[in-house]
Amino acid sequence: MNRIEARMQQLEQRGEKAFITYITAGLPDLEGTKALLKAKERAGCDVVELGIPFSDPVADGPVIQNASYKAICNGINLKKVFVAVEEVRKEGLELPIIFMMYYNTILHYGVEAFVKKCNEVGVDGLIIPDLPFEEQEDLKNCLKDSDTTILIQLVSPVSGDRIPRILENARGFVYCVSSMGVTGQGANFHREVVQYLKHVKEVSKIPVMMGFGIRTAEDVRPMKDIIDGAIVGSHFINLMEENGYSTAVAEEYCSTFKRELNQL
Amino acid sequence: MNQKAYYGTFGGQYVSESLMNTLEELDTAFEEAIRDEEFLKQYHYYLKQYVGRETPLYFAERLSEKYGTKIYLKREDLNHTGAHKINNVIGQILLAKRMGKKKVIAETGAGQHGVATATGAALFGMECTVYMGEEDIKRQALNVMRMEMLGAKVVSVRSGSNTLKDATNEAIRTWAKTAEDTFYIIGSAVGPYPYPKMVKEFQSCISRESKKQILEAEGRLPDVVMACVGGGSNSIGMFADFIEDKEVRLIGVEAAGKGIETGEHASAMALGAPGVLHGMRSYLLQDEDGNVQLAHSISAGLDYPGVGPEHAYLRDTGRAEYVSATDTEAMDALMELCKLEGIIPAIESAHAMAYAFKYAENLGKEIGAEAAKDKIMVICLSGRGDKDVNTIADYLSGKGYLN
Repeated sequence: MNRIEARMQQLEQRGEKAFITYITAGLPDLEGTKALLKAKERAGCDVVELGIPFSDPVADGPVIQNASYKAICNGINLKKVFVAVEEVRKEGLELPIIFMMYYNTILHYGVEAFVKKCNEVGVDGLIIPDLPFEEQEDLKNCLKDSDTTILIQLVSPVSGDRIPRILENARGFVYCVSSMGVTGQGANFHREVVQYLKHVKEVSKIPVMMGFGIRTAEDVRPMKDIIDGAIVGSHFINLMEENGYSTAVAEEYCSTFKRELNQL
Repeated sequence: MNQKAYYGTFGGQYVSESLMNTLEELDTAFEEAIRDEEFLKQYHYYLKQYVGRETPLYFAERLSEKYGTKIYLKREDLNHTGAHKINNVIGQILLAKRMGKKKVIAETGAGQHGVATATGAALFGMECTVYMGEEDIKRQALNVMRMEMLGAKVVSVRSGSNTLKDATNEAIRTWAKTAEDTFYIIGSAVGPYPYPKMVKEFQSCISRESKKQILEAEGRLPDVVMACVGGGSNSIGMFADFIEDKEVRLIGVEAAGKGIETGEHASAMALGAPGVLHGMRSYLLQDEDGNVQLAHSISAGLDYPGVGPEHAYLRDTGRAEYVSATDTEAMDALMELCKLEGIIPAIESAHAMAYAFKYAENLGKEIGAEAAKDKIMVICLSGRGDKDVNTIADYLSGKGYLN
């Protein structure tokens, strides 16, 4: 069974909400990234989004843009991240890993070869913010026999009647973008966020996660009865930047968030 | 896959989910507008009374004599604001108004599209913000001043390479946040569908007029039509009405910068592989990791790592040919146009001129001087060179050209 789906099932049985965080691969370096992945697993983080750096991250705000730029300057590329994932899996990491990346990186690697490699090394999911539903055909064709790696669908507050179509065959969980625009704008959720999340929850057969602009569990209190989990990206990167990528700080933040999220 | 968004395998809508409905609305509004007599009347009214169309198709006598073939120049440099960019801005801004948008945003490299957008925004009383790379703001201080005089806010973009590509990223980000009341005016034939189609539609007046004018002057179609290609807006406009006329050769001239072999160039189609940037799939300069590579050209307007998807399609189907001219070749052609015809062209347009001269010289050798004299060449002179005087001065002082 796919690791993300297995984790979602466990959470449902336990009646828990999921906590997902983002990190940019290669910060402070790939060894550091591996250490962070392990720290997150220890802290009870449910899924991690691993950002593959790209030169033109058009869906990201300044925090993740800078992180991406730094990683590129460190010489990080997709091939090196594959190696790191392969290693960390061999070292026993079972934490579900989602690659968050831009489509050009996949195209350049070759869609088929990319999917094959994801399957081999143990990448469980893909989030591609510049690959909307209409453009997913090529990738889906390559993913159709793959249970190891699945494509995560994103919806936005203005998706409206697109939502049922997008969710029809969606797997893992649905990523609900909480606001218009890019990552890391603080908790300025869309004015109709609650209504929108309710709509997604009604339509969705899989868990509903909310991301963009979340910093603490408290931020999602207004929608705690609707969503099945929360995703933290830019805020976590800021925290890491401020604390020298300390695994202790990462662990503390993740376990606190996860605990508070389930006590809301 | 949305078939109509594609030119062969190029084009598409590679944008975030937040923008998909926006693009759909835009597409519907655009298709309705260009079928609406009233809208078209308005558009043509402003092109005539405000932009100053139609622009002349000028028979360049002295150049024709020197190169031994008939050279006609489509004088887009005579448009209000000094380049072809305004044609598209008038069209898009009228569409923005029709859609009830109050604000417009734009990206700009050299500043020509920014100035054109600021101009249109002033004309129609809309709030205007222009995104421009920090590096370009330094290089094009005069155009920044112009935009500000016209009431636009110029936002300095500090990310990545601090140039046009990054300004475009920032404009897309802002648009994703504000699409409800903001219209994004893209200046080149790039971006997610329907932008490439829209830009072509609003620039096609260039070829429509040229065709009529050359038939009047010569009684037949030209043998070859040329234009420079950055993202490809003046060239798609120059090609549009000739695409179906298979006997007319279409040649796009990209910027070879310091030479294709040096790696410092802006020719997406010379060595670029297909990729995805700015919402479209097209030829793209990229490195071994699939990161977008910096383009280089002495001309800020051609300094773009991608190219419009329809050009990629025209190239692959063989309908149009794409070649390149180096910085040096362009600057030599620029000076020649100054001296022989009294026209200071934009450095962008000088790239098309440079290749045209090369082409004309070869023509004489291939078919003989007599036969070459009857051949007709139409070149799009997309803009005037006033904005480039500082760059030209720097170049010449480095090279000692005027001495």
